[in-house]
Parts: sequence; C-alpha cells; structure tokens
Amino acid sequence: MQEIFNIFVKSIFVDNMVFAYFLGMCSYLAVSKTVNTSVGLGLAVIFVLGITVPVDYLLNDYILKPGALAWLDPEFKDVDLSFLSFILFIAIIASMVQLVEMVVEKFSPALYSSLGIFLPLIAVNCAILGGSLFMQEREYQSLAQATSFGLGSGVGWFLAIVGIAAIREKIRYSNVPKPLRGLGITFIITGLMGIAFMSFLGIKL
Amino acid sequence: MKALREFVDKQKPHFEKGGRFEKLHSTFEAFETFLFVPNTVTNTGAHIRDAIDMKRTMIIVVLALIPPLLFGIWNVGYQHFLSNGMAPDFWPMVGFGLLKVLPLIVVSYITGLAIEFAFAQSRGHEVNEGFLVTGMLIPLVMPPDVPLWMVAVATAFAVIIGKEVFGGTGMNILNPALTARAFLFFAYPSEMSGDRVWIAEKADAYSGATPLGHLLVLDADKLPSDWAMFSGLIPGSIGETSTIAILLGAIVLIATGIGSFRIMASVVTGGLVMGLLFNLWGANAYMDIPAYQHLIMGGFAFGTVYMATDPVSASQTNRGKLIYGFLIGLIAVLIRVFNPAYPEGMMLSILLMNVFAPLIDHYVVQSNIKKRLKRSKAGTAKV
Repeated sequence: MQEIFNIFVKSIFVDNMVFAYFLGMCSYLAVSKTVNTSVGLGLAVIFVLGITVPVDYLLNDYILKPGALAWLDPEFKDVDLSFLSFILFIAIIASMVQLVEMVVEKFSPALYSSLGIFLPLIAVNCAILGGSLFMQEREYQSLAQATSFGLGSGVGWFLAIVGIAAIREKIRYSNVPKPLRGLGITFIITGLMGIAFMSFLGIKL
Repeated sequence: MKALREFVDKQKPHFEKGGRFEKLHSTFEAFETFLFVPNTVTNTGAHIRDAIDMKRTMIIVVLALIPPLLFGIWNVGYQHFLSNGMAPDFWPMVGFGLLKVLPLIVVSYITGLAIEFAFAQSRGHEVNEGFLVTGMLIPLVMPPDVPLWMVAVATAFAVIIGKEVFGGTGMNILNPALTARAFLFFAYPSEMSGDRVWIAEKADAYSGATPLGHLLVLDADKLPSDWAMFSGLIPGSIGETSTIAILLGAIVLIATGIGSFRIMASVVTGGLVMGLLFNLWGANAYMDIPAYQHLIMGGFAFGTVYMATDPVSASQTNRGKLIYGFLIGLIAVLIRVFNPAYPEGMMLSILLMNVFAPLIDHYVVQSNIKKRLKRSKAGTAKV
C-alpha cells in the first residue's frame, strides 16, 4: 500500500511528465490558452493514462515479456514478443482515445469543439506512449502499481497544463516583445516552471 | 528644491518629442519622477486617489530591507573573524563586512539598472523602480563569498528572462530575486551550497555548516542555540540570518500596508503545521526538532517577509493569499525534511507557488462568481 502511494506521489511531482521529461509538449503548448479547455484536456489525459497503462501492463505481463507466454504452454517459455510492444501499445492507446472522443462529443459538445484536433491527437501524445514505455522499463510489480503510476502521471500532466494556462491567462495583457508573443513566451514560462518544479528533484520515496 | 525643479523644467524640452535627446525620454522621465512626485493624472475610468505610487512603495520596501542589510554586513565580518579565531572590535567587523557586501550590491544594481534602462529606451516604456528592490534583495540572498561575475550573470538572467520578456515590472510570474538565486543554485551548485561558502574567507579547520546543513545529515545535536538562530549569529546568506532584523522590516511593511500580513501569517502557519505533523511522525532526528525552530533557521523568515509578499508574483485575491501562503510554508518545511538534495526549501517553495498563484486566483474568482450568481438568483426568486 505504502509503495503504491509512493509511486503515485512520485509520478506527480518528482517524475513529472512535462517538467522532468518534457513529454507531451505539443498539446501542452497548443491547448493551454484558457484554464477551462486545459482542464478538459487534462482530465482526458488522466483518463487515458489511467486506462492504458494498466491495460498495457497486463498485455506486457501476459503476452509480450520474455517468457510471458509460459502460462499458455510451458514450451513457449523462450518466446520473446517484446518487439511488438510499440505497435500493440499504440493500438490500445488509439482505441482508448477513440472512446474518450466519443464520450466527450456526446456529453460536452462545447469542450469537444474547443479541443479540436488535439483530442484525437492524444493518441500520438508522447506522454501517453511514454507512460506505457516507462511502465515496461521500470518493471512495476503489480497491476495496482501500474495503475497508480498511470493516474499519477496523468495528474502531474494535468497540474502542469492547468498551471501554465492560468499563467497565460494572466499575461494576456502583458506587453511581451513582439517576436516572443505566443509560443516563444510559453516556452520561456515552461522553462521557469521547470526551475520551480526542480524543488522535488532528488526526493527519494 | 525650487532651483532643482527649475533646472529639471529647463531641461525638459530637450527630451520631449522633437527635442535633441528625444530617444532618451524614458531615462529623463525616470530621474524626474525619482526627484518629484509626477503631476500626471488618469483621465478616464475609475481610479483611486492616493499619494503613494510605485516609487514610494518600492522605497519603503528598500527601507524595510535596511535592518537585515546592516545586520548582514556586521555578521559577515563577525563570522569571518570567529572562524579565524580572532575577536576584534565592532568596527573592523563592519569594515570587513562592507568590503564583502558593498561590491555585491554595486554589481547587482549596475547590471540590473543598465539592462532596465536599455530595455526601457529600446521599447519606449518608462523605467520602473521595481529593480530598486530586486537589486537590494539579490545580494541579500547570496552567500558572502559568491564571485562578483556570478552575481552579474544571475542578475542579467533574472532581469531579462524573469522580467523584461514578460513586459517589465509588474508582469513577471516569478520573483526576480529568487529567479536569480535559483539560476545560480542550479548552474553553480558548488558556489551556492555546502559547508564552505557561508563564511567569507573561512579558516579551513572551522566548520562552516549552517543549521540546516547540520540537520541535513541529521546532526541535531550540533544545532546552535535558539537565541543564536533567532538573533542571527549563524553562518548563512547575507541577509537571511537574523530573525530579529527581519521582524523589524516586517513591522515596517505591515504598518505601511505594503507587505501583506495575510501572506506572512499564513506562511508561518503553514510552516508550523508541517513542523508539528513531522513531530507527530518523528521518524528521524530532523522530524523531531520543535516546529518553531523551522521559522528561525535558514531563509524562512526572510522569504516570508520579503519574497512571498512580492505583490506581483503572489496571489492577488485575499482568499488566494491565504492558500498561497499556507502552501509555501508547508512545502518549504516538506522539502527541508524530505529532500536530501537541498538543505533549504524556502526559495523553491516560493517559486513553486509563484507558478501556481494565477491558478489559485482563477479558482477563487470563479467560486466568487458562482456564489454571487447563486445569491442573485435566490434574491430574484424571492421577489
């Protein structure tokens, strides 16, 4: 239980997807203009990460890992299917995103139109695939650990995008030098936020 | 005074549109308003009549910074001679401290003001006084032995990346003085942390660890007495050591209404609450120290009074200020105790909450809107 909680906290603050690995930057930069939209996208990312990481964990554990097929038949114990992980992980992610898209379109058409192309693009958001690959690389011990890692990473990404959206709303009327308006200043803000998030770097849990 | 006014008025036409020095208008404007309260008034919209403007505000903060500055100058000398086993009189200590501290102040002001003036000229806005405070805060949060070129680089980084790219004073999202310190802290860690840097020209055999440095390796026995930490007779950054001097500054800031007492009180509460929680947990010697000691060690007091209250980067709403301050205190103590990489958490926790201050404000404002909508609906329903 302690371990699961530690993984959750660690993936929010210490190993933050945006500030520690700079993953998922495209939608982070593009959809962070207002707080309300970014809350919507952030929740979608939490949901997708929270589903895909445990599903991919099961996939990895029972099919892909070296020797994972041994439960079918002992003679498969030398089979290593891990070269398939990219394509299978992406397939799972794409179908989950499709699900989210249909749900959002049905229940919140306003959010659907404001997210635009970036909702289906979650499927190729590197934070999502990164979540599954980190899960594979770090060899989490149980389904619960993988789930808490997925949810924690999602919450960390959510915090990052909502934080920067509030800052961008605040500086909307600032006299930013012309060449830096828009993306330029957003990159600078991201860097400064990264400095602030370094406060958690080095915490061992 | 009158002669000065006449002199300024005589020079004025040269700097107005069409004059010889038209390009230097904002420089002239800065010096004119530095000497005299400007007589320009707002024409449209609602405005508040008050004698205080930004220049007056900033000067009061600089005044409030004088007690920690003077104490810091003396303490730099005191720690230096103490480490070398000498005990000279008062004046040699002050002399040594001045020798160490004045160059830092001069470098920080010259670098920062040069950049401010250059930006103001080229972008055609006024020179703002925000830097008078930042330029004083930067030397005060540095270790006494920091090389001067580092101060210059850090100041330039803080003023350009931390402030000017956002459009100048009042637009920055992070506190510029802390941005400068964080920049140096991560770029040159060996000059900004450890046991070596906190005493100027320290004798090698003398331990120069700060109280937080002792606690980091769980040496709670080596902690100086409460009185030493409260009065400031400990090694540390120049301005941060003396809680007494900082309290004097806090009185000035609160009495004039320039520093928010809400933020100060909630930061202290947050630190105490976290300290007490750790007392309950008590897993190691660090968690067992009394909660109030967190307030008098390291930069907690200095950060609370001068950094967290920065009106630009803090939360703007009253309820937001309480949340913002509370979380600063909480996270600062959390980082101190939990993070083996950094002995001090105050700088980073303030920066972190600076980042989230706009978000806190956003939700406070939204909840107010919702509450009022509900109230007005309830009101119309009754009628």
